[in-house]
Amino acid sequence: MKSRGEEGLLQRVAALLAEPRHADNPLREALEALYLQHRDQREQLERLMNISDRYQALAREAQQVTQKRYERSLRRQQKLSRISDGYQALICERNQTLHEEAHHDALTALPNRRLIDEHLARLDRDERSYTLALLDIDHFKQINDAHGHDVGDALLVAITRTMRESLRDYDLCGRWGGEEFLLLLGETSLEEASRIVERMRARLARVQVFIAGQPLSVTLSAGLSEHRAGEPYADTLHRADQALLRAKRDGRDRSQLAAG
Amino acid sequence: MTNAMTMIPDLDIPGSQSTPAIRSDWAAGRLTLQGDSYPENSYELFDQVIAWVERFLSDESRPLALELTLVYLNTSSVKAMMDIFDLLEEAHEGGRPVSVTWHYDPRNERIAELAEEFKEDCSYPFAITPTPVTP
Repeated sequence: MKSRGEEGLLQRVAALLAEPRHADNPLREALEALYLQHRDQREQLERLMNISDRYQALAREAQQVTQKRYERSLRRQQKLSRISDGYQALICERNQTLHEEAHHDALTALPNRRLIDEHLARLDRDERSYTLALLDIDHFKQINDAHGHDVGDALLVAITRTMRESLRDYDLCGRWGGEEFLLLLGETSLEEASRIVERMRARLARVQVFIAGQPLSVTLSAGLSEHRAGEPYADTLHRADQALLRAKRDGRDRSQLAAG
Repeated sequence: MTNAMTMIPDLDIPGSQSTPAIRSDWAAGRLTLQGDSYPENSYELFDQVIAWVERFLSDESRPLALELTLVYLNTSSVKAMMDIFDLLEEAHEGGRPVSVTWHYDPRNERIAELAEEFKEDCSYPFAITPTPVTP
């Protein structure tokens, strides 16, 4: 409205200036000067606004480009992190698997010597009491020789299963060597351990594997030793080993207790 | 003065425990990367791969095929692969036939999942195929 009003006023002024009867009016010259100056200023203002608008459009465009670039780089960064995290998780899993494999026996899945050693060292550090039992399958070599290693392996797996079932949750059973197992009975006296091992030996003697329909079973000998306060676990192990040797020499299928 | 096109030599980088085997074949339009990638200086290693891809895409108009059997990638190797896939995407949008085949050991499905993540923004043929690995 305003600009139309202004346009109307300008038209009126232009018409007045053009009328010959006002040619000698003393105000005419001043009015004409004012009129022309106003037109110039209006043109300049329009040009300024035009330039300003174009600048604004450019700035907006640049901002949109930057925003797009930023969003793209953010997406890329997120993708990179996602994939990288995936690979890291993969490595973690691989490490866990390797750790499992390094600490367990492949045939029986029992803890191996490395894991048992770590456990024993920890018990020593924490000054906990425990009793060790070394169990050895009697005449295992003869079974392997007579029936082959497959049968020997099957027997080891069967023995392991029953051994696990006979233990308390907090006991540890590991494969110490070929046909040798180590039981780690925490907070357990020699007498109590002896009862546990005798019960277990009786159960293990009833384990059977079948060869061509014929049952095969074995007996086990055991040597037990109770950890002495302050003694390194290697010494406790050594006494259990000596006790096992005595059990073997005394005719097998029996337990021997190391002197406390 | 001769204005002969300087040939970029083909890559034939033997793999190591921490670097993939990298082989390019300009004549066949093929680039293969195989193995684990966690190099000490991944920029040094991948810059030449990226340079080869850029050169092939600009000098030739023939198709380019990537054959990948990558297993583990560290972060900078992931970034380098994303850069290469971006180059292929750009070429593909310009009408160039490009393709990727990512082979993985079917016993390790996780690798296929990660290859899928790479594939996400690629509109060119990107196959992820289980390939039995003979140990």
